[in-house]
Amino acid sequence: MIPCTCFIQEGQRADQIQETLKEKLDAFSQRAFNAPAQQMWITVSGGNGFTEAKPSTSSIVSFQSDVPLEQDKRADLLRELCSIWTAETDCSLDEIVATINDPRA
Amino acid sequence: MPLYLCNARPGTLSADAKAGIADDITRIHCEVTGAPPTFVHAFHFDGGMAPDIGDKSIALHGNIRAGRTDDQKQDIMDQICDAVAHRSGVTRDQISMTIGDVPASWAMEGGDIMPEPGEEAAWLEAHAAKTAQAG
Repeated sequence: MIPCTCFIQEGQRADQIQETLKEKLDAFSQRAFNAPAQQMWITVSGGNGFTEAKPSTSSIVSFQSDVPLEQDKRADLLRELCSIWTAETDCSLDEIVATINDPRA
Repeated sequence: MPLYLCNARPGTLSADAKAGIADDITRIHCEVTGAPPTFVHAFHFDGGMAPDIGDKSIALHGNIRAGRTDDQKQDIMDQICDAVAHRSGVTRDQISMTIGDVPASWAMEGGDIMPEPGEEAAWLEAHAAKTAQAG
């Protein structure tokens, strides 16, 4: 299983279509890492999320690879992850932060 | 990135205090590191799973881009904890904070790999040009 943590803002499109996004992220994890995603979703309640000290519309999606990644491969996967998010949620690229971490040492 | 998480026991922080703390976190992070405020995310939780509150009243954790010095990280933690104490009325010894490093190259924001510390201005300029071209 590939650990995956998603922070989303309450009431936004990403919050409303969680099940769809979970399926998409699981499929992404299978393609990228050949293993399903162990997903933890955390909804930031209204009034509790801030970006640039203003109410946030940002989602943060973080995967932890099971093997160290070459940077070109990581960049490609990050682009794919952002594309999934923008396509499904109608958010802009500026509203998605994606990280893919190497395994913990 | 950075992403700061602030987890407080339910009822500890008012809505005004949360907004004020987010403002303080943004200002302090930018003053200490030179990063632009547009990068700074601050999310609050009331009795959330993480960061672990333990025997404290408020726990904070920051995931920041790697490359900051230990002195910078300590300065950020000291200033943020002082600000949280001031905003919340909770004593300083009831507030804990940790910071973790994430290589900039592991993160993407706005569709671009994040800049290394010190390269933010060029990144923002290139990002703005790309956005204008796309729009």
